[in-house]
Amino acid sequence: MRRTASALLCLALLLALAGCAPQAETSTVFAMDTVMTLTAYGDRACVDDAVSLIQELEARLSVTAADSDIARVNGSGGGDAAPETAALLKRALELCKLTGGALDVTVYPLVRAWGFTTGAYRVPEDAEIAELLTYVDHTAVKLDGQTVSLPAGAMLDLGAVAKGWTGDKIAALWREAGVKSGLINLGGNVQTVGGKPDGSDWVVGIRDPFSEGLLGAVSARDLAVITSGGYQRYFEQDGVRYCHIIDPKTGRPADSGLASVTVVGEEGVLCDGLSTALYVLGPEEAVRLWRENTGFDLVLVTDGGEVILTEGIEGRFTPMGAYTDKEIKVMRRG
Amino acid sequence: MDIKRIARDAVLTAVALTIFIVELQIPAPVPIPGVKLGLANIVTLTALFTLGPWDALAVLLCRVLLGAAFAGNMMALLYSLTGGLLAFLAAAPMRKLLTERQIWVASVFSAMAHNIGQVLAAVLVTATPALFVWLPPLLISGVVTGLFTGLAGQFAVRRLGKYLRHTNGK
Amino acid sequence: MAKTGTWIAVIAVILLLSVAASLLLFSRPAAGHTAEIYVDGALYKRVDLSRITSPERIEVKTERGVNILLAEPGRIRVESADCPDKVCVEAGWLASSAAPIVCLPHRVVIKLTGETALDAEAG
Repeated sequence: MRRTASALLCLALLLALAGCAPQAETSTVFAMDTVMTLTAYGDRACVDDAVSLIQELEARLSVTAADSDIARVNGSGGGDAAPETAALLKRALELCKLTGGALDVTVYPLVRAWGFTTGAYRVPEDAEIAELLTYVDHTAVKLDGQTVSLPAGAMLDLGAVAKGWTGDKIAALWREAGVKSGLINLGGNVQTVGGKPDGSDWVVGIRDPFSEGLLGAVSARDLAVITSGGYQRYFEQDGVRYCHIIDPKTGRPADSGLASVTVVGEEGVLCDGLSTALYVLGPEEAVRLWRENTGFDLVLVTDGGEVILTEGIEGRFTPMGAYTDKEIKVMRRG
Repeated sequence: MDIKRIARDAVLTAVALTIFIVELQIPAPVPIPGVKLGLANIVTLTALFTLGPWDALAVLLCRVLLGAAFAGNMMALLYSLTGGLLAFLAAAPMRKLLTERQIWVASVFSAMAHNIGQVLAAVLVTATPALFVWLPPLLISGVVTGLFTGLAGQFAVRRLGKYLRHTNGK
Repeated sequence: MAKTGTWIAVIAVILLLSVAASLLLFSRPAAGHTAEIYVDGALYKRVDLSRITSPERIEVKTERGVNILLAEPGRIRVESADCPDKVCVEAGWLASSAAPIVCLPHRVVIKLTGETALDAEAG
């Protein structure tokens, strides 16, 4: 009796000192022009594997690195891409089609002209924009197996979908390895694996496009939460603000009445691509696209500060700060 | 009143006070309000188990009052007093229940009572019930520190017991 | 006289329960986004930490003494205080909504609210 009791006491003391929650394994990586934070509970190797995966994908997908798949294709008007790159391009082209070209993987010449890839911002002349627009056409991109071909002058950029895709790949890797709880934050593109170690959902905040604060939080389990907004990167000239999301139809920064678009769904690449496209399309078109499709939900913030949710996310969204008192519009199907 | 008794209790108070003042210089081991070793309790415990509750209470009260005066912190007197009295009330009835080798048990219970008292006082003073979250970690700390001071007290009782009792003069 | 083993068992059970309760209360990841400062149980000031962009000092002055708080983006601590025990200063950054910072001598409590503790931020 006494020995058991002593053992129990020692055990209790040990527990008190060590705690017994699964260990959080974390890594921070600088890649794809942003800071990425990976957290998996219980498995160091998974985090290290994910870091290698990120570096591998960046090397293949970067539009600026000279020896990436994308740069090679852009330089020579076509060629063979790695299977992974081809698979992402295939999915990206489907999304371009789904969004009627509001997402366009060939908008790169314009993004470059506005200086968003280099930081040398400028407002191009109308004539230059008109000329560059002739190269923007995702339907002209041909993908046959792994072979890509581009019309003369056209250039690919998978930047609008690369992070979402990377999140999907890491999540798949972790699930396969048996990770029950993980959080992948690719510079504000968040992908969750399972719930938190204590069994509850992950809580992902959404940035307020008008301040440094938050507009609200979404509880997520096995979901991606991805936001696009003009506030993320922009420059100002002569009192006019020019944001980094270029409308492939006009060749100019998108100005559709939305300040930010958050897409929540299981497939990161879909959420990533849609967040950009819906920002370009504007609130009415965004809701229409949501009604016609499944697999994602939306948190839209208009330029006027109005918040619009789609019904699937209503129960998982909590407004914060100045948005606590505001009326929130919920869109329903049918 | 027996002069021997007064002298003996005064010596014990002085020892307790010294330990108390020295302990004030030791920074808190954890940033949780109220966590400290409570080394002065060794003396209270020794007095309780050798001389009985009345002498122990006298030593405790003198130590708490003088301690607050010496530390120049009369505000803390309230917390010290509630905590000290609760600790005493938890330990005193255990005198009849424990053998000389089980004295540390009384110390563990009195340390826990002390910490419960501290949390209660903090909740009442600040009117913030949220402070009850400190109770579980303070109980853990109470068990650990109570175990330590209890074993020290038990050792003191076994070594000093007969000399202290001798001065009872009965 | 009860056996020593019985006493050990009783204490072990209390200890286990306390450990379990502590883990439950304190293992919650950080944190609410609004710090609330209370003096004598009454709200003294509310600071939205998610809106703070550069370090900011807040003075909490009462008839009992002064606590200087330092608020940074997403976190807050007591930087200095003229209280006798300095427990509030040693408590460090307020990291979990479960455990408020307390300055008992000054009757000051700082706690985080805004139920949702964020794990990540999209945008």
